[in-house]
Amino acid sequence: MNLSDVKNKLPAENIVAGEDEGMARAIGGVVASDLMSDVLVSAKEDCLLVTSLASEQMIRTADLVGAVGVLVVNGKPLPPSLVSLARSLAMPLLRTRMPKYETCLALAKAGCAEQGEGA
Amino acid sequence: MNRGLPDLSVERSPLSLVEMIYSTPIREVMTGDPIAVRRSETMRAAQELMREKSISGLPVAEDGRLYGIVSIHDLILTIQSDQLDQPVERHMTDHVVTLEEAMPLSMAIAYFGKYPFGRFPVLDARQRLAGILTVRDINVTLIDRLMRDVTRYESMLESEPLPGLAFTRVFHARRHDFEQGGKASTALKRHLSDHRVRRELIKRVAIAAYELEMNQVVHSIGGTLSFDVSPERVGILAQDRGPGIADMDLAMTEGYTTADDWIKSLGFGAGLGLPNVKRVADEFYLHSELGIGTTVKAVIRLDTGKENGA
Repeated sequence: MNLSDVKNKLPAENIVAGEDEGMARAIGGVVASDLMSDVLVSAKEDCLLVTSLASEQMIRTADLVGAVGVLVVNGKPLPPSLVSLARSLAMPLLRTRMPKYETCLALAKAGCAEQGEGA
Repeated sequence: MNRGLPDLSVERSPLSLVEMIYSTPIREVMTGDPIAVRRSETMRAAQELMREKSISGLPVAEDGRLYGIVSIHDLILTIQSDQLDQPVERHMTDHVVTLEEAMPLSMAIAYFGKYPFGRFPVLDARQRLAGILTVRDINVTLIDRLMRDVTRYESMLESEPLPGLAFTRVFHARRHDFEQGGKASTALKRHLSDHRVRRELIKRVAIAAYELEMNQVVHSIGGTLSFDVSPERVGILAQDRGPGIADMDLAMTEGYTTADDWIKSLGFGAGLGLPNVKRVADEFYLHSELGIGTTVKAVIRLDTGKENGA
């Protein structure tokens, strides 16, 4: 399961692709949260960050925890500064119109594993 | 007109500015293709032109040859003596101080200091009118070039490569500057990744640095974040100028926060900041005084630290 699969199955639009293979990196788990501290604590390497908070700090947080990408739910408008930060940090950015809960269900159904043990 | 122009003497100016004013020819700064009147035109025509184009000094020229300049002062005298219908030739200033386009900008700045004029006509190598130079032209050019220089220097600072893992850097945090907030932690993380530090360790460092950095942005009136990296350890020192923590025990309690709804709407203020830092750090020190400020020190060992927590 990688970001390209997520994009096709939800569906989601791909705003920033990141590096060449950014969309192809395997997703190691999913963290759905709008709180930076929660993300910092619970996110594992290579997780997909699902959030309804369209802020630059979410991109930074994702970068700091080594997430594979950020998926913004509810079709939230993305400020240009957020998109350009994602680009400069090579952080893949996707957006879906689905609400957060439905997004998580769809991700699970599509085969996205929950986070590894202990999360 | 020249009042307020800074002292651009070589001794007191930064090198890049000195280089700029000595190496830039007036040609690159002046307004080229100047509007001019002919000698036989009336002062009324000159006045119309000056009003219409919002210019305060109008060259009098024919086929490129400069004969004089009509200034606001000339115009006032003509209006007072009711001679607006007379030709320009009779009222213009004819002893005109000029500059040449190949001269360096430093020469022009010296001229503005020496003469009480707001503008100088600029001649080309064949002594033909090539442009007009005003203080505004100089200001606009200098500001534009300084902006470019500063931007270049800033990007050099950001991407300054370091040969080894050892690294020291101080970042400044400003209250509620969510745009810049996080940049310091990102830079630290990048440095550690570039030097192949283990991912679990990087993550612990990133958590501590980011929580401390955002604490300063969210809660303090401003402060500094210092990183000190050696092969053995990463030291993070966060010092702010206040307001200080009222109750240290509460501050260390998970879930306790003093953040308002706005901060929470940005995804901060979960009351996990300091506890998170303490959890990932091998050494943790917190000191705070109301009205003075807060100092937090966190150390993550790269050699023999705790392996859990992240």
